[in-house]
Amino acid sequence: MTCPEYAIVAEGLTRTYGPFIPGSAGKVAVDGISFKVRKGEIYGILGPNGAGKTTTIKMLSTMLTPTSGLAEVLGMDVRDGKNIRALRKRINVVSGGERGLYYRLSGRQNLEFFADLYGIPKKDQKALIESLLSLVELIEAADIKVENYSRGMKQRIHIARSLINSPEILFLDEPTIGLDPEISRGIRSLIKKLSDGGTTVILTTHYMFEAEELCDNMVILSRGRIVGKGTVDDIKSSISRVSSLKIITEEDPSDVTASLCRENLDAVTSRLLNERYLTKITLNNADRAFTAIEDLFRPYAISSVGVEEPTLEDAYLTLVNEGL
Amino acid sequence: MNPRAVTASFKQQAIQFMADPQWIIPSIVSPFLFTMVMLYIHQDVTGPVVLQAVLGGGVLGMWANTIFASSFTISYDRMNGTFESMLLSPTKIFDILIGRSIWNAFIGLVNALLVFAIAEMIFRTGVSLANPIGFFFILALTLMSLASFGMLISTAFVFSRMGRFFSSVAEYPIYVISGALVPISALPVGLQHISYLLAPSWGVDAMRYAAFEGYGSMMGTSLLTDIIMMVMLSIAVLIIAYFIMNKAERAILSAGSATRY
Ligand SMILES: Nc1ncnc2c1ncn2[C@@H]1O[C@H](COP(=O)(O)OP(=O)(O)OP(=O)(O)O)[C@@H](O)[C@H]1O
Ligand SMILES: [Mg+2]
Repeated sequence: MTCPEYAIVAEGLTRTYGPFIPGSAGKVAVDGISFKVRKGEIYGILGPNGAGKTTTIKMLSTMLTPTSGLAEVLGMDVRDGKNIRALRKRINVVSGGERGLYYRLSGRQNLEFFADLYGIPKKDQKALIESLLSLVELIEAADIKVENYSRGMKQRIHIARSLINSPEILFLDEPTIGLDPEISRGIRSLIKKLSDGGTTVILTTHYMFEAEELCDNMVILSRGRIVGKGTVDDIKSSISRVSSLKIITEEDPSDVTASLCRENLDAVTSRLLNERYLTKITLNNADRAFTAIEDLFRPYAISSVGVEEPTLEDAYLTLVNEGL
Repeated sequence: MNPRAVTASFKQQAIQFMADPQWIIPSIVSPFLFTMVMLYIHQDVTGPVVLQAVLGGGVLGMWANTIFASSFTISYDRMNGTFESMLLSPTKIFDILIGRSIWNAFIGLVNALLVFAIAEMIFRTGVSLANPIGFFFILALTLMSLASFGMLISTAFVFSRMGRFFSSVAEYPIYVISGALVPISALPVGLQHISYLLAPSWGVDAMRYAAFEGYGSMMGTSLLTDIIMMVMLSIAVLIIAYFIMNKAERAILSAGSATRY
């Protein structure tokens, strides 16, 4: 079932930890998930703390043996011990946080060490390291010990380390966690650049805007299971649409609002500073009720109407809570 | 073996060490105390006793250093999160450890020489070695045998953070069993058998051959046998370490324990 179109094919992938108390059942961290990642795309794995994102990434990156199920990465079965070293040459991982570097070595020395571990020929190392340092904008700090780096610098040298073997698949586990907006933005544009260059990127994040900005496709995990899958739009439209309607009128429409409330709609009117009235109504099926409701407000002199579509965050929260 | 990875980890260990060499101190202080105690017990600071004591101290120093460095090396990586980055690379952990062990052995040598030098400065015994060149050659070989032991200890840390238990248990018995402290013949027979299985015992014996004129082997063998035994046992230990290490690598992937420390 090797399919060159896909960088990753997971089928029924499962991982259990423990049991830590003999005789008890182990903890099912990832519970039979299936998904496919196309070559060159940015694929998101979203989900609350403990959902199984890191566990999934570890299994796909040969760092953790699956309990059952299938995972083919670059056409190779990750469970087959013979593939592990071949696969490790072609992938890399960045985990968010400050661990994983030699603090008493400079940034450059860290990169040199890992270049050797990846068997990068000595003659190519200098130029490669220089280009990676400039990619992550650490040329000036290259010869300072990592222990003196700020968090953002550590994360950037991490990313440089992960690119040392020009990986075909790059796994990024919360790459922008704890970083300031400017550095995060820099990292996001770097991710896009890598993806444009043909690298397949697997990204986990708790930031919805990041997923929305970067991911071509994604899965949402909750308690080890997939509760949502597809593009951002697929995911938004997979929940029963919840939109909110905002109507501003010249005159007070409280009577209408009260009658809507009696119909069990969530509606509130408030008086604005400019002597106008704002009414917010949450609708389950906006398309149908929209014009009918607008008509009710017409006698109060409508000055503007707006519809707020559900965000990825709305969809995420709905899916994750349905999964409980 | 992957020479690139070996050199890289040798260099990494060296830089790391130079940035913070304070941990050489415990492995000098306790062997040195041992040397002092030996000398005061014997109340004789001339000739063979001094040499015996200083030699014992030097070997203890090398062993303490080996234990310390080979335990520290992987626990540091576990604590630092670099163990995962190492594991993620296509290089075998075993190759990385070889490089580090060579550096550690080198520091062990410096350590032993420091113990010798300090003892000489304090007691001003002026003892001379029967065969200085042979002595240094054997010292180097003994160091290699200690390093291969160190590899075995490191595997315990690759397996689990519980390696610390193993290494603290291994430290003192080896002093006794290897004959560095007291002659092997003074040990209970059961322990003597274990002594014969330890490369460092043969190394200590061989060093004494080279140090003392007319030395009667504590192992009851010849110098050549000592050397051959030491080399063969060291190779055997290395092979065992290699297999354990590969098993350990697989075990941590299935237990998911690489991040624990
Ligand atoms: N090494 C381990 N041993 C035992 N249980 C583990 C281990 N690693 C993870 N778990 C458990 O498996 C579940 C999934 O954890 P995982 O780290 O994959 O979640 P996550 O989605 O990455 O969460 P977060 O967003 O907090 O990073 C959790 O319940 C966690 O407690
Ligand atoms: Mg995680």
